[in-house]
Amino acid sequence: MRNSGAMLILTFIAILILQAAGVSPPGKPRLTSCRSPEKETFTCWWEPGGDGGLPTTYALYYHLENSETVYECPDYRTAGENSCFFNKNDTSLWVNYNITVVASNALGKNISDPVEVDVVYIVQPNTPEHVTAVVVHDEQGPFVRVSWEKPRTADTRSGWITLLYQLRVKQEKDKEWEEYNAGMQKYYNVFSLHPDKEYMVQVRCKPDHGFWSEWTQTTYVKMPDYITRERSLWIMITIFFVFIVVILTWTLNVKRNSVKLCLLPAVPGPKIKGFDKQLLKSGKSEEVFNTLVIQGFPPTTDYDNLLVEYLEVFDNEEQELVLDGKDLSEDCMKSKSPSDIDSGRGSCDSHTLLLEKCMDGREGSGSNQHQYSQHGETRWASTESSESQGPEPGSPDSANGRGKTWPVVFSSPQPQPHHHYPVGAAKPAYHSVPEILNHLSPHAMSSNYHQLNHQDILQQERRFSKPACRHSQSYNQFNLDGIDTSAPGVAPSPSLEYVEVQRVNPENMLLLRPLSDPNREPEGSDCTREDYSKVKEVTSNNILLLQRDMSHQCVDDYSQADQCTTQQPPHPCKPAVHQSNSGMPQEAIRVMGNGYVDSTVLINLAPST
Amino acid sequence: FGLSLPAVAVLLVALLCLDPHCRVGSAPICAHGPSGCHIPSLADLFDRVIQHSARMHSLSNDLHSEFEQYFLPSKNHIGKIYRKCHTSNILTPNGKDNAQKLAREELTEVILKLLMAWRDPLFQLHQSMAHQQDFNSFSSNKALEMGDMAHELRKGVEKVAEKMRVLGMLGNSVTGLSAAEAMLPLSDSGEAMSDYELLYCFRRDSNKVQNYLKILKCRIVPEHDC
Repeated sequence: MRNSGAMLILTFIAILILQAAGVSPPGKPRLTSCRSPEKETFTCWWEPGGDGGLPTTYALYYHLENSETVYECPDYRTAGENSCFFNKNDTSLWVNYNITVVASNALGKNISDPVEVDVVYIVQPNTPEHVTAVVVHDEQGPFVRVSWEKPRTADTRSGWITLLYQLRVKQEKDKEWEEYNAGMQKYYNVFSLHPDKEYMVQVRCKPDHGFWSEWTQTTYVKMPDYITRERSLWIMITIFFVFIVVILTWTLNVKRNSVKLCLLPAVPGPKIKGFDKQLLKSGKSEEVFNTLVIQGFPPTTDYDNLLVEYLEVFDNEEQELVLDGKDLSEDCMKSKSPSDIDSGRGSCDSHTLLLEKCMDGREGSGSNQHQYSQHGETRWASTESSESQGPEPGSPDSANGRGKTWPVVFSSPQPQPHHHYPVGAAKPAYHSVPEILNHLSPHAMSSNYHQLNHQDILQQERRFSKPACRHSQSYNQFNLDGIDTSAPGVAPSPSLEYVEVQRVNPENMLLLRPLSDPNREPEGSDCTREDYSKVKEVTSNNILLLQRDMSHQCVDDYSQADQCTTQQPPHPCKPAVHQSNSGMPQEAIRVMGNGYVDSTVLINLAPST
Repeated sequence: FGLSLPAVAVLLVALLCLDPHCRVGSAPICAHGPSGCHIPSLADLFDRVIQHSARMHSLSNDLHSEFEQYFLPSKNHIGKIYRKCHTSNILTPNGKDNAQKLAREELTEVILKLLMAWRDPLFQLHQSMAHQQDFNSFSSNKALEMGDMAHELRKGVEKVAEKMRVLGMLGNSVTGLSAAEAMLPLSDSGEAMSDYELLYCFRRDSNKVQNYLKILKCRIVPEHDC
């Protein structure tokens, strides 16, 4: 009892001393792996745990399964340091080995953990041998044939072990290997290697149940520099196409003009006369388009001219014209010009003129129109042969000087002393008031029609005498209907006499009264004044604006007017507004400079029927 | 004559049938030997058998690994020491030399014995695996397939043996296995082996079978793969 206690204490002290000295029992060894290269032998390796500062020995012990007999490793040397080699006699397959390693030194020993090993499952063959890689030239291109041999130790011949091979290929610069499984055969053809490159080849093997062997040493193989059939074909195709392209380009170049025309047809530029493209480019559109403006278009209507041209004077068939045949004939001959286009031929056809017998007046109208076709301003200045008559110092000039003219409505010849009436068969074409005013139909108002004698005009100064303060019941009624009534008391006299407008009665009738009206009141004799009233204009309301002559005679009128207050027409010096129920078109009549009323407007604007 | 067309046809057919050689009957497949149809050679038979055994072994290996992985985490625990496999009393060569020393008949017989010994245990294994919910369907199917394959393999090996006997390669020493040879997987202690133990044992035995077949093949038909 005491000894054991003392022994323990001593041992404890010894251990402490030893530890202080740095020595200890060995560390626990560990079996790292056991491998069999051919399934006939195997080797186990261990690593020492630490020698504890003292020389340590290792021993491997094993026992088979279901057996308690412990054997020690038969061979420590063959396999190297810390290994145990089991030779054929000691190797049994399909049997578990229980292996332990014991490390022992002066101070103690240490036993590793046991490891169960069945040799069949720890087979790792040696590397294949004699790896060769040969370039084989084939008609389709060269390839590499890699061949090798089985590891020497593996007995595949008897079928004891079955090996599966694997090889890998890569170029020096590649990172990844290309692996191929060769199965149990001992050669392999590698295709699709690049020409003129060097490749590295390695092979390894594995049993059907086991571990892969190590890779063999690298075998180098260099591919020859060759052009694959495929590549040569592509080269030929490329050359062919390049050739075609060159030919096409050259052809296009030669024919570039026609090609240009074909692809880019010329865009026609603007072909506007007077259109300046440069101006267009400069930008100002006004300038550009100004050039397109033709001066004088559209033609501004000079109604004066037109109207004058179309001015017609037609005579009433029932009217007899007492003319100075000689003079008239002369004038007619001279002035007659059937070729005058503007001499009122159209007006003949015009229904508005209310011509009863156009044919009668055609000749005359033609000449008349010719005469009247002059511009208003020139009429007076006309130096035609018609001047043979000579301007009467009196009336025309005075009339002209005054600028007062009779409205054509009433009498055309009167203000134009130069113009002669056609003689002969041609009767002067007068515009009778009813005719002019009445556009519907020419109505002869023989009884009321007063002819005005041109001659009388020239020779005498016809004046419209003011009936003065007499309201004559005899009046000429002019209305649309074409009154055929004759003014009572107004006998149609063969002689020309003037008609004066007495007044306009409320019934929209112009009351005319001949100057030679015997019914005139004596007071009216004083009223014999030259009293012209001209139509100033026709307003839109079918109102004829008459304008009295502003002359000294007016004064007389005034005096006369005083006498006739009740029945006086409106203030003589004031424009008399007479309503005419003419039915004329509502447009205003332009009064020309010489006092003529431009009746062409009336004609033209009257509804054509 | 005045024979109509159908009559002529009938006559022709009758004439043909009268030909003694023209007989319509059922002929056995490959009745006329190799020229008639393709009879698998011994090498082909061996190849098929070896493939079978390889497949069988791989299945057993997978099942064993699964078992070990999921049910026995520690590899080298003490309790792993097994009882003897029920086939341990079948003498099998445990080395190459020993295997090569065996005659082909003995080798064949060993193979057959092994396969026979595993017929029932494999069925048992499948049954127990199917019933246990720990196994997934894959494992159960593998066990079933394994059992079937073992059965097929045995049949195949018997055919090979038959073939060899026909070819004179095998003597008459190989006797048919009797039903008495069939053993029950009972250990020495008489207890039934667990699934894991069965798998462990079968994995080993399937490897043996495969190996023995390969040796046999390379010994008998060493044309290729040997």
